[in-house]
Amino acid sequence: MNTDRTLMRQVVHRDERAFALLVERYGGRMLAVARRLLGSQADAEDAVQRAFLRCYLGAAGYRVEWAVSTWLYRILTNVCIDEMRRRRSRSTGSEALTRETAAAANGRGDSIDAVARLDVRRALRRVPREARILVTLRYVDGLSYGELARIRGISVNTVKSQLARARSILRGALGGGKGR
Amino acid sequence: MTARPRPDDLRLEEWLSGYFRPEPIPAGLARRIVRAATTMEETMKTIARTFSIQATRNGVALVARRRPAPSTGGAGGRAGGIGPAPEGRAGRAGASADRLAAQARRELREYLNGERSFFSVPVDLSALPEFQRRVLEETMRIPFGEARSYTWIARRIGRPRAVRAVGTALGRNPVPFIVPCHRVLRSDGSLGGYAFGLGMKRRLLELERATPLLEGCRSTHIVCRVGCGAAQRMRSDHRVVFGSVAEARTAGYRPCRVCRPAAA
Repeated sequence: MNTDRTLMRQVVHRDERAFALLVERYGGRMLAVARRLLGSQADAEDAVQRAFLRCYLGAAGYRVEWAVSTWLYRILTNVCIDEMRRRRSRSTGSEALTRETAAAANGRGDSIDAVARLDVRRALRRVPREARILVTLRYVDGLSYGELARIRGISVNTVKSQLARARSILRGALGGGKGR
Repeated sequence: MTARPRPDDLRLEEWLSGYFRPEPIPAGLARRIVRAATTMEETMKTIARTFSIQATRNGVALVARRRPAPSTGGAGGRAGGIGPAPEGRAGRAGASADRLAAQARRELREYLNGERSFFSVPVDLSALPEFQRRVLEETMRIPFGEARSYTWIARRIGRPRAVRAVGTALGRNPVPFIVPCHRVLRSDGSLGGYAFGLGMKRRLLELERATPLLEGCRSTHIVCRVGCGAAQRMRSDHRVVFGSVAEARTAGYRPCRVCRPAAA
């Protein structure tokens, strides 16, 4: 059976097949995390590529007491946070937003209606960054409070309070129609 | 747009899980990553193996490609590349120069491993003509992971028309990597030139993009610049990247007193 940990042990020895399986297993969710944090598809692919590159080269630093997914998400969040820092001075994802608006108008987005999707995106912008990261990881992969705490190096209580705050901001932003 | 009623918790959960669906994985991603990783690793190893460092007692004065060694064991202990390679020299000045060269080797090795975002070893440019020295000093002010144009440098040193001369001065940079001439590009964003080939320039820029600037330790709750000596013993799974010192503070971290990340 190819458990995550078995695969990681093989990646340490530069086993490309094992690495490809890991990418296949987590790539989609990692892309979703990066896309939601960074806005554009191209930046998200870059970030995921860089995160996996670190995983491949730094596999020896992996410790078995971590779930592989937690470890991967930690690397990815680290990459994304650093990327967001770099572009802070530049203008933020307005181009990506325009594209999303166009997609919404074309009726893409099947599981939730496209308008709600755009609203969620806008609402999320009001959530402070550290909390937004937690929300993203929580919803893309259902990570536990403990895992989130580990990934961001904070206490479980801080995770809970940040998530509660984010939800309340989202509820307000999605209901009130304020700031449209 | 009409205002909707506040969504109840269930509806909010539904929207959020819909919004955060996984994305399709681009074809060939794993193969591309392996290829990029291998190239990156080879480049960095080549630099570590083929460059040697010389210092005066005031700082690093030369980082240069070594001439191919005629045979191993010959050239007076220089076989270690940027690895530890004591160079016999007499006197106190020689000792401090050796110490600085050793520090530069260590820092360069960490930099190439993506474990360092700044150099603390001093640089000695005193033997250079004034114009070149000013160009290089200005180049050292370009932040890690960023890039500026030849024109920008020319303007900053008060010689806005000397763009070409700036390029020449950078091309003869005696202390590459540590004086980051690879961070200087053309105004249109294209790479311009590089003494060791554009491939290496591109990979150095990519290395810096992949190296974070600020890192906190989960157990001490201190945030450092990546490469800080005080953080060297930090366990790899204790490292948490932060976007700014302010954000680190909101997570309960305080800035390191050794590397002073707030001033970075």
